[in-house]
Amino acid sequence: MMRRVKRTVAARVTDPVVGVARSAREYRSRTGDTAVAVQAVICGSLGAAFVAFLVGSQWTVFPAGVFLATTVVGWRREQAATGKAVTFLMTVGTVGVLALIVAFLLVRSVPAVEHMGVGLLGRTADPLWAARDGGVYSLAPMLVGTAITTCIATVIATPVGIAGAVFISEIAPPRVRDVVKPGIELMAGIPSITYGFIGLTVLNQYFYAEFRTPTIGSYLAAGAMIGVMALPTVVTISEDALAAVPESVKSGALAMGSTPWQTTKSVTLPAGLSGVSAGVLLGVGRAMGETMAATVMLTHTKGFPSPVFDVFSQYGETLTTVIAFEGGNASGVHMSALFAGGVVLFVTVMALSVGSQYVEWRMHRKLGGET
Amino acid sequence: MGTATKTTLATGESVVGAVTSRTVLGVTAATVVLAVACLMQWVAPGGAVVGIPVATLLGGGLAVAGCGIAVLGAGSRLGYIETTPSRATSLAAGCVVGMLWAVSGGVATTVAVGGGDAWLPVAVVGGVAGALATVLPREDAGATLPAAAVIVGWGGAIAASGGGGGWTWAPAWSSAVFPGTEIVPVVAVGGALLAAWSGASAHAGFGAEGRQAGAYALVGAVVVGTLSVLVLLVGFVVLKGITPVLTGASLTGGTLGLPFVDAAVPWPTLPFVTNQTGGLYVTIPGVFPALVGTLWLVFGAVVAAVPLGIGAAVFLTEYAERGRFTQLVEVATNGLWSTPSIVFGLFGLAFLVPRLSGGNSILVGQLVLGCMLLPLVLLTCREALLAVPDAHRDASAALGVTKWQTIRSVVVPAAMPGTITGVILGVGRIAGETAPLLLVFGGAPYPSNTPDVLGSFSLMAQPPFVTNDALLAPASALPYQLYTTITAGVFPKDEFTTAAFGWGTALVLLAVVIGLYAVGIASRRYFRRKLHHE
Repeated sequence: MMRRVKRTVAARVTDPVVGVARSAREYRSRTGDTAVAVQAVICGSLGAAFVAFLVGSQWTVFPAGVFLATTVVGWRREQAATGKAVTFLMTVGTVGVLALIVAFLLVRSVPAVEHMGVGLLGRTADPLWAARDGGVYSLAPMLVGTAITTCIATVIATPVGIAGAVFISEIAPPRVRDVVKPGIELMAGIPSITYGFIGLTVLNQYFYAEFRTPTIGSYLAAGAMIGVMALPTVVTISEDALAAVPESVKSGALAMGSTPWQTTKSVTLPAGLSGVSAGVLLGVGRAMGETMAATVMLTHTKGFPSPVFDVFSQYGETLTTVIAFEGGNASGVHMSALFAGGVVLFVTVMALSVGSQYVEWRMHRKLGGET
Repeated sequence: MGTATKTTLATGESVVGAVTSRTVLGVTAATVVLAVACLMQWVAPGGAVVGIPVATLLGGGLAVAGCGIAVLGAGSRLGYIETTPSRATSLAAGCVVGMLWAVSGGVATTVAVGGGDAWLPVAVVGGVAGALATVLPREDAGATLPAAAVIVGWGGAIAASGGGGGWTWAPAWSSAVFPGTEIVPVVAVGGALLAAWSGASAHAGFGAEGRQAGAYALVGAVVVGTLSVLVLLVGFVVLKGITPVLTGASLTGGTLGLPFVDAAVPWPTLPFVTNQTGGLYVTIPGVFPALVGTLWLVFGAVVAAVPLGIGAAVFLTEYAERGRFTQLVEVATNGLWSTPSIVFGLFGLAFLVPRLSGGNSILVGQLVLGCMLLPLVLLTCREALLAVPDAHRDASAALGVTKWQTIRSVVVPAAMPGTITGVILGVGRIAGETAPLLLVFGGAPYPSNTPDVLGSFSLMAQPPFVTNDALLAPASALPYQLYTTITAGVFPKDEFTTAAFGWGTALVLLAVVIGLYAVGIASRRYFRRKLHHE
């Protein structure tokens, strides 16, 4: 019994090693000596250049030069090997960007965590955010602000977005679709600062003049604008999901005598539900990360509205706006607190992204398509 | 699909029904238009249109629509109008109508009694009664009469309120005060949507067809609303920005010096686009530095991201085995794609700024925007590569072509159209990106010179041997210019107010972005059509 356990553990440790060794042998047998040398120099020099750049050395230029020279020489002599190595490095680079973002956000937010402890996220007593007296930085009001604007935006973007997706994918005749779809895409393309400028001059003024909000700028106005901006994400991804439902499934329902709407409601939407919820999740992520419109429209007063659903209060600050507004001239622990805000934002949006990918993957598996 | 409607019309008995339902839908649409005009403050809710008070029009419209729906429902139930109703209305519709009855009952009680707790029992009883009245009877009565009661009630209230002028609602939980002049149009829109659903359902003769018509009416209304928002946004920017952009512009006002011959010909000028923003001798300030800055940013981002993205996509699709590694890269790419732009700014601030320029600079801006563009390039290129049929690869391999040669001369060229389209759409997105620029890029609010990147390369004796002062200095870009104009306050020149200059900048930015999108979408359609014709 004991021996078998030991053997399994040993196998678990050695299996990957054996696997790697086997693929290494295969690689060696299939690749010529020159090619191996070229690939090794390319990977090595780029790695060295990265390390040198990371420590801020002025000698970065030398390994980078070696990399370029090897790539040029390799491109002429061993094009296939060079191409494979370079595209591999590009793939690693893409993951590397994400890894660097994570690493640098975490490293830079350490001082704030050391300074504030749990209070960085949970402090609700005054002062909430002050640079004087050694500095007090509580992200709690921004968390509440982000939650409020995101909720408002989601409430607007979800039903409208799903209706838009159903319209484009199921209802609209091709001619109408050719107009509506680019229109929605264009909506995603209008720069967020433009949305913000319009929101600032129109929506904020409207609520201030007609609803007598205490300040020019409220969570409701900003949230509504963000909802409009998150709308195209929901529409595009939900529409993809609905279009991915196999035509045979829809035809089957139609052949049973159901109307197109019955088919949409009882067959297509349930089948594409995972994809639609993936679109909603990504839309929530977009709304959460939306910066410029909120920065321009909100009041940058930190505090908790009471009750919490009072969306017209004088308070207005979210995680994104505080970074954009104060990031330009912050330093020390203050800057570190902003980085901590960035970490919270990044982790949440990343979780939403991974979650949406998971439900989408599940849908594709269920529908029998390629994963 | 259309047979039910056709028979009802053809039998002749239901002409009344068809006319009534059309009238209901028409009146409903007119009511929505008027209510939206009120909300947009094109029409004063207390004012009048063609001599009739707006409140009377809104309330009357709702009342007429409600009565029409009641006639349709009753007529169908009593057998005067031929329809094909189901046995009952859906539970969801029952919930919605019940809710509306509850709200109406509660509000009416509060207004009649003047406060107190009497509203609660009335609301509960009203809600249950409304829901039951919708769900229990046959569909033609259930889907019309309870809803019609709500609509007529609201219409009467609106007409009686005289547009809600002077009346406000200040709930304790809100810092804001809700004026009657704004509540009335909102209620009118809500009532009209209900009328549209019920009327469309009746128009198609209830039953499955009717439910489809009702649902399509609502979905259509939502889509029309969304597109109207888009048109309003773009139209508003154009309307506000066209005056500053065209200031001093003329088709023949400028001169173009011809090379080699000592002569000049008249040439169009557009000072807002071609002038400096600051500076002593500029009479009409323009956005030229910002425009050039945006072009450099986009250029740098494309140079950094496009080869990287395409290379990674090629490796993932052609070389890598499907497994842990490709999965990791996919998750990472999708994660990068949804990472908020401000986080990219923080990343640039922490990683790139201290190592490259020590302060805000064009180069860091380019790289940060490149990082944002990278996932989009990778995703679209990968999609395009996966769409290349395996037959192409097999055919090439069968001819004895090596794998790399196949990738280079068969697979990648076939995937290029899709990739280019994706890149153009991505560029449209990053051209308008502002948030990271605040942290890593932006310089003076009103620059008086344009970055001279090409002319600033210089060699030096110690590593890194080549440097470029313009590339390592902060600059301005169109979205950044708009942000600084909004936040900086007073505009230094007399020609424009701050707002006017901001709207002009917004229009130029919008033109750049829409131009890129138009090119992207047009190229997608072109390639798609070409693909289908093959």
